[in-house]
Amino acid sequence: MALKSRDDQAFSYLYDHYSGSLYSIILQIVKSPEIAGDVLQEVFINIWRKIESYDPLRGRLFTWMLNISRNASIDMLRSKGYINNQKNQEITDNVYGSDQVTQTNIDGIGLTKFLEKLKPEQRVLIELAYLKGYTHEEIAQIEDIPLGTVKTRIRNALLQLRVYLK
Amino acid sequence: MNPQEYILSGIVESYVLGLASPEDSAEFERMCDAHHEVRAARNAFELQVEQSLIHQKLEPPRVLKSRIFSEIGMEKDKQPPGIIANTPALIPRKGFARYVAAASLIMLLGSVLLNLYLLDQYKKSIAQYKELIATQTQIAGANQVMQTKLETYENALGLMKNPKMAIVKMPGMPASPAPSSMATVYWNTESKEVYLLVNQLPMPVPDKQYQLWAIVNGHPVDVGIFDMDKNFSFIKLKTIPKAEAFAITLEKKGGSTTPTMDAMYVMGKVTG
Repeated sequence: MALKSRDDQAFSYLYDHYSGSLYSIILQIVKSPEIAGDVLQEVFINIWRKIESYDPLRGRLFTWMLNISRNASIDMLRSKGYINNQKNQEITDNVYGSDQVTQTNIDGIGLTKFLEKLKPEQRVLIELAYLKGYTHEEIAQIEDIPLGTVKTRIRNALLQLRVYLK
Repeated sequence: MNPQEYILSGIVESYVLGLASPEDSAEFERMCDAHHEVRAARNAFELQVEQSLIHQKLEPPRVLKSRIFSEIGMEKDKQPPGIIANTPALIPRKGFARYVAAASLIMLLGSVLLNLYLLDQYKKSIAQYKELIATQTQIAGANQVMQTKLETYENALGLMKNPKMAIVKMPGMPASPAPSSMATVYWNTESKEVYLLVNQLPMPVPDKQYQLWAIVNGHPVDVGIFDMDKNFSFIKLKTIPKAEAFAITLEKKGGSTTPTMDAMYVMGKVTG
């Protein structure tokens, strides 16, 4: 595989082909375009470094890259720098009252569009699980609902996702 | 849980989207390996996700691509030049290749040791082979000696068994230099051939030889000289058509025309 031998051309094709989709997912998680750009850069450098650990038997290349992107985004969410930045942002937002600016960018895209179709109680859980990276146990604590309920709702939401994507 | 129920449990979606716990993921990978339908369901869902997301893209900032590629380029510069040339063989060995390399080394070492062992065995075999050849030659030689001896004995036995053979015993004379001497003449009455068997005679001095005589009409007739170097064997001498007696004298080397009477060792009369 050309990519595994770190062919520049192949990597360039990969970037042109997938960066838009990955960027949109990253943006939905980290919300800020500036931070999403940083994360996307980190993601592609990681793809380039770790391409040899990609195992085609375990899934498609896109799935692999998607999960790298999501993990990097959630790591960013939890980083000290991001948390401080968000605090400042909130203060600024409160001062200027302009919460919509970043939000509007990602409306109607990918997961967000899908999330709109879910029941509210499912949507909250999917957002916490997929976009914030919380475990089922953490979600049960945050939402103060039984773990079994969390699991059932997430499971039903995911099964709906399959139908929706068809 | 059968594969169909398993597929509908939501695990496919959780796994693909990275929501499954590590235990559930490991379980799912085992199920994928074991059931092609699980694998097929995973692949189908992956395609759905990919196709829906591929059309819903947001263009990232344009500068990003060059930033990423310059960073990658810097990483490449840190690596040995061989890597940049994109020669897969020179890429640092990872995972499987490392095992293959290790296995090759182990096999090479094993092969060297085996060769040394075989060389040693070969040398031992060569030595054993040479030893065997020597023994074999020795045995063949001994066998030949035995064969010759056996032939001699068979001939002797044949002579003794021959019913036409007249046997003339020649005991030592009272006046003989060695009175306990004894010899026997085997005389074929048909072919008239004379064979001499020395039973006991003293070894002659080097310049003397024994000579057998036939007494024909009272006169001694030369039958031939003989040596004592052969052990227990019949000595074939001249053919004598007619004789009354046989006698042996010790003569000068090469024999005499007339016997030296005072050196007569044995004598025997032909009977019948």
